[in-house]
Amino acid sequence: MPPVLSAVELTKRFGDTTAVSDLSFGLDAGTVTGFLGPNGAGKTTTMRLILGLAEPDRGRAFVFGRPYAELDRPATRVGAVLESADLHPGRTGRDHLRVLAPVAQVPTSRVEDVLRLVDLEGAADRRVKGYSLGMRQRLGLAAALLGDPELLVLDEPANGLDPEGVRWLRDFLREFAAEGRTVFVSSHLLAEVAQTVDQVVIINRGRLVVESPLEELTARLAGTIRIEAAKPDVLECALRNEGVAAERVNGALRVHGATADRIGEIALAANVALRQVVTESPSLEDVFLELTAEPPS
Amino acid sequence: MSGQFVSELRKVRTTRTAPLLLLAAVAFALLGIVAVGLSATVEELAREDDQRTFFGSAATNAVFFATFVGLLVVTNEFRYGTIRPTLLFEPRRRVVLAAKLAAAALAGVLFAAVCTVVSFGFGLPLLAARDVDIALTGPHALTIVFGTLAAAALGAMMGVAVGALIRNQVGAIVVLAGYSVAFDTLLFATMPSLGRFLPAEALSALAGLPDEGLLTPGVGAAVALAWTLAFSVAAAARTDRSDV
Repeated sequence: MPPVLSAVELTKRFGDTTAVSDLSFGLDAGTVTGFLGPNGAGKTTTMRLILGLAEPDRGRAFVFGRPYAELDRPATRVGAVLESADLHPGRTGRDHLRVLAPVAQVPTSRVEDVLRLVDLEGAADRRVKGYSLGMRQRLGLAAALLGDPELLVLDEPANGLDPEGVRWLRDFLREFAAEGRTVFVSSHLLAEVAQTVDQVVIINRGRLVVESPLEELTARLAGTIRIEAAKPDVLECALRNEGVAAERVNGALRVHGATADRIGEIALAANVALRQVVTESPSLEDVFLELTAEPPS
Repeated sequence: MSGQFVSELRKVRTTRTAPLLLLAAVAFALLGIVAVGLSATVEELAREDDQRTFFGSAATNAVFFATFVGLLVVTNEFRYGTIRPTLLFEPRRRVVLAAKLAAAALAGVLFAAVCTVVSFGFGLPLLAARDVDIALTGPHALTIVFGTLAAAALGAMMGVAVGALIRNQVGAIVVLAGYSVAFDTLLFATMPSLGRFLPAEALSALAGLPDEGLLTPGVGAAVALAWTLAFSVAAAARTDRSDV
C-alpha cells in the first residue's frame, strides 16, 4: 500500500538559510506519527510544503499519492491546523466554521457536530478575540475535522492546552487512528507525543535524523546498564580488557553492549563487589536529545 | 467555485468591518447631499450638469468605500493568517481569487445601491423643498445609477487585486490612498488628457460624473474594465507563485 503522505527529497531555502534539506519520509495508514525536532528545526516549513502552502525549491510531497493542490475536495481527505492564530478575531467560532463549510461541501449540521466534538458549543457565538489559546486550538481542530478527513496534519496542537486538554487530545488522536485513519503531529515537547505516537520522524536543522517505529527507536538505544561497584576503577579496567565499553558517570559506571550476567561474571573474575546493577530504559526524550545533540565544535 | 463564492460572501458578512464601512459610505453620501443641497444657491443647482454632480456625488463615496472593502477582503486574510485555512480548503488559488473578486464586486454593487438610494431619496425632496426644478434627464439619471453600480463593482475588484499584490494591509492602504489622492488626482489636474485614463478617473467617468476632461461613460467603462483585468491578471500571477 502506498504511503498516505510522503516527502521526497524536499528542500526549501529562505535566502541563505536552508530550512528543509533533502527530506524524505513516508506515513502508513492508520498510524500516529510524531514529527519531532527542536524549535526552528523546519517542522512547520515541511508541513507547509506538504500542504501546498509553500513551494519547495527541490523535491516533492504527496498526499494520497498526489500533490495536495491536486486533491479533489481536499478538506474531505486532509484536515490540517498549522497555526492556532489563523482565525479572524472579529468572527465568532461558529461563523469561522460556517465560512469554511461550503468549500468542504458539508452540510451546516456538520458545523454543530464538530463544535460538539471539541466541546466549544457554549462559546461558539463568542468572537474569537475572547478565546483562550486552548479554545483557539480546539476551534482550529474543529475546522480540520469539518470534512471528516482520513488524515490529520497538526502543527504543535497541544500548545496552550491545559493538562486535561492534552489528555483529551491524546485520546482523540488515538481514537482517530484506531478508525484506520492517519495522524501526522508535530511537537517540540516529547512528553506530549510519547504516549500517543506509533512512529517518529525526527528532524534537526531541516535534515532527517531518524524515521522509525517508536519501539525500534527506543530499543536501539536500550541496553545501557548502570553499575555501582566497590572498586569502579578496577571494574572499568576489567570490562575494557574484555572488550566491553564503559564510562564513569558520577562515580558509577555506564556500560553498553553487555548483559547484566556478563558484567557480573567479569566483576567476579576481577574480585569486585557489585552494589547496584540497573538496566536503564531510555525515554523518548533521552533518545531525542541524543539524536539531535549538536556535535562539539 | 460556487462553494468558495458563498464562503467569501460569508467572510464579508460575518465581521463588523463591511457593515461599518457601509455605514460610513452612507453617512458621507448623506452629508454630501445635505451640505450641498442646503448651502448651494438655487442657481447653482438648476442646470443639469449641476444636478449630475449633486446626485452623482454619492458615487464617489460608494466607489471609494467599495474599493476599500475589496482591499480588506484580501489583506485581512493575510493579516490574521486565515489565508492558510482558506487555501487548505481550496488549494486552487485562482479559484479563491476569482471568488474574492466576485464577492467584492457584489459587495460593491450593494454599497453603490444603498448610496444611490440615499442620494436620490434625500436629494430629490431637498431640491423640491428649495423649489429647484429637476433638470436631470432620464438617460443621465440611468447613467448615474447603473454607472455607479458598475464603478463600485469594478472599484471593489481593483481593491481585491491591489490587496493580493501588496498583501500587507497597512502598506496596501497607504499605497491606495497615496495613489488616489496624490498621483491620480494630481496627474488629472495637471495633465487631464493623460490623467483621465487612470483608474479612479475612469471610474468617475463610468459613474456619469460631468467633470470636464473625463472620458465619456462608455469609454470610461472600457478603460476601467481594462484596468480591472490588468490588476487581476497581475494579482493572479502573484497569487500563483507565492508562499503563505
